Amino acid sequence: MLNLKLAFRNLFRNGRRTLLTCLLIGFSLSALIIVDGIILGMSKLLVESATHLMSGEAQVHRRGYLDSFDVDLYIADPGALQATLERNPAVAGYSMRVMSGGMVSSPYNVAAAMILGLDAGQEKSVSRISESLVDGEYLSGMDTELIIGSDLADLLEVKLGDRIVLTLSQVDGGGISQELFRLSGISRFGIRELDSTTAFINLDRARGMMGMDTAVHEIAIRYAEGEDSANRNHPLLAELSNSEYEALGWKDFNASIGTMLETIDLVTIVVGMILFLLASFGVINTMFMSIYERIYEFGVIKAIGTRPTDLIKLVLCESFLIAVGSVICGTLLGGAVSYYFSVSGVILGEFEVSGIAFHNNIYSVLEPAQFIEFPIYVILLTVIASLYPAAFAAKIVPSEALQKSL
Amino acid sequence: MNHDIVIQTFGLTRTYGEAEAKVTALSGVDLAIKAGEFTAIVGPSGSGKTTLLHLIGGLDRPSAGHIELGGTNIAEMSGTQLSDLRRDQIGFIFQAYNLIPVLSARENVEYVMLLQGMDPAERKRRTDLMLQLVGLEGLGERRPAQLSGGQQQRVAVARAMASSPAIIFADEPTANLDSKTGVALLDLMKRLNEDEGVTFVFSTHDEKIMDIARRLVYLHDGVIERDERR
Repeated sequence: MLNLKLAFRNLFRNGRRTLLTCLLIGFSLSALIIVDGIILGMSKLLVESATHLMSGEAQVHRRGYLDSFDVDLYIADPGALQATLERNPAVAGYSMRVMSGGMVSSPYNVAAAMILGLDAGQEKSVSRISESLVDGEYLSGMDTELIIGSDLADLLEVKLGDRIVLTLSQVDGGGISQELFRLSGISRFGIRELDSTTAFINLDRARGMMGMDTAVHEIAIRYAEGEDSANRNHPLLAELSNSEYEALGWKDFNASIGTMLETIDLVTIVVGMILFLLASFGVINTMFMSIYERIYEFGVIKAIGTRPTDLIKLVLCESFLIAVGSVICGTLLGGAVSYYFSVSGVILGEFEVSGIAFHNNIYSVLEPAQFIEFPIYVILLTVIASLYPAAFAAKIVPSEALQKSL
Repeated sequence: MNHDIVIQTFGLTRTYGEAEAKVTALSGVDLAIKAGEFTAIVGPSGSGKTTLLHLIGGLDRPSAGHIELGGTNIAEMSGTQLSDLRRDQIGFIFQAYNLIPVLSARENVEYVMLLQGMDPAERKRRTDLMLQLVGLEGLGERRPAQLSGGQQQRVAVARAMASSPAIIFADEPTANLDSKTGVALLDLMKRLNEDEGVTFVFSTHDEKIMDIARRLVYLHDGVIERDERR
């Protein structure tokens, strides 16, 4: 109690220095809160863009399909999987897909493309294909409907209603299948790969062309709770997997994005460490200046019977109070700015990173950890940084200290 | 060791530096201070007065010789043991800046008792008594900056006495005071010595102050030149 009282009053002996130190540490904390909020927002957007746009948060395939995209590796009877998905409360929606590489031909040009057969209704609960239309109509189940990406439409020099021929190979060594479609919609995802090489047709038509009956290549899944998507070991995935089929979370079938997120987390840690390392040097400097200014006083205090450990406690109390003041400043400032960005967003415009399209502002994400864990780290780090000056103070020899400053 | 003797030194020597830069501040000093004495260590600047007080006060360690306080050689004590010794058995008054500036006069007096873990009621009683003894009742809530130099030294005397030490060392306590205030402070210390039986050892080179002392120990070049009792 005595140390706390002394420490508190000592902080006001050089109020400007104390304030500047608090601001230095506080700004570091607020910067970390702001950066972490933006990075969490960016990660969230990255995940949403990666999963909600097209792929879903989890997928089921025949084992080996993702390695080769061999059309013969299909799920022959998806009924049992479908029943599992229907009764599992963790599932918000799923969509069955047929996929094959093929040729897209217009009267003016020909291009290779990935042709996806979709269930129009199911797909709305998993992906944003219906929202990506910039012209025309979404699939309604009619046989001749075809949606292609905007860049592919430009390449083929086609407009809505134009005739387009899709050519693809049938499964299990069947022949070539070639059928006529009418362009019913043009999509734009903002991702070059999707916009220039993708064509969507109705699921039944695709199955028919490929000779697949009720089979599918992929079942894309959306979880009811967003947090489930990060769980690589979600029980649902185990339930859907067996020796023949493999259910994977998005971090596994889209490993590059998972790695990117891990890199982003690492960057946050590194940024945090740099910020707090700099702040720690500030604390060490401040505490040393404060001790050097009071070296005679420390000599007197020791001379009248204060133990070295009590001096350590005094210096640590001072740094603890500085840390508490800094945390209050930093949390308020960082929280206010982060809250502003969580509401207004950070304007980035439209861009693509590693095949992921960013259309929207990044909205900061406020997490309890930013206001509980980060401040605790700051307090601990500040107190730890003060151990060195505190040890110095404890080693002051009274007879030497008393020769100074008079 | 005589039971009346509070502190005694045997061949106390203190040197600084090494080889050609070696300086001997104190050389083979034998000194015994008895309980209730009012002793002045006198001598010119550089004679070793402060070094002697620091050594027998446990603020510094001798290069040779030893110091006994209550039969214990304090030169062999650890840092923490010395801190406890100073807290419980020794009082200090320095030239100036004796007080902790962020504490009030009352809190400064209480400080050592807080370190001792004295209970609050007893602490308050003793603080009031000490402030009264040094004539500062009513000024207890003032911070050092709000007190005159003489008043600050009185607070230092009160603090030094508060823990009922066996001996109080004062290193030129009047050096930063005008002569009138300095004499008044010494009168106070002498009164406390006579009325309360407090043992004082102080250093000075002020002749007016020397006159008040009952024992004068003359130091010159680190050696006791003369030891007079009046």
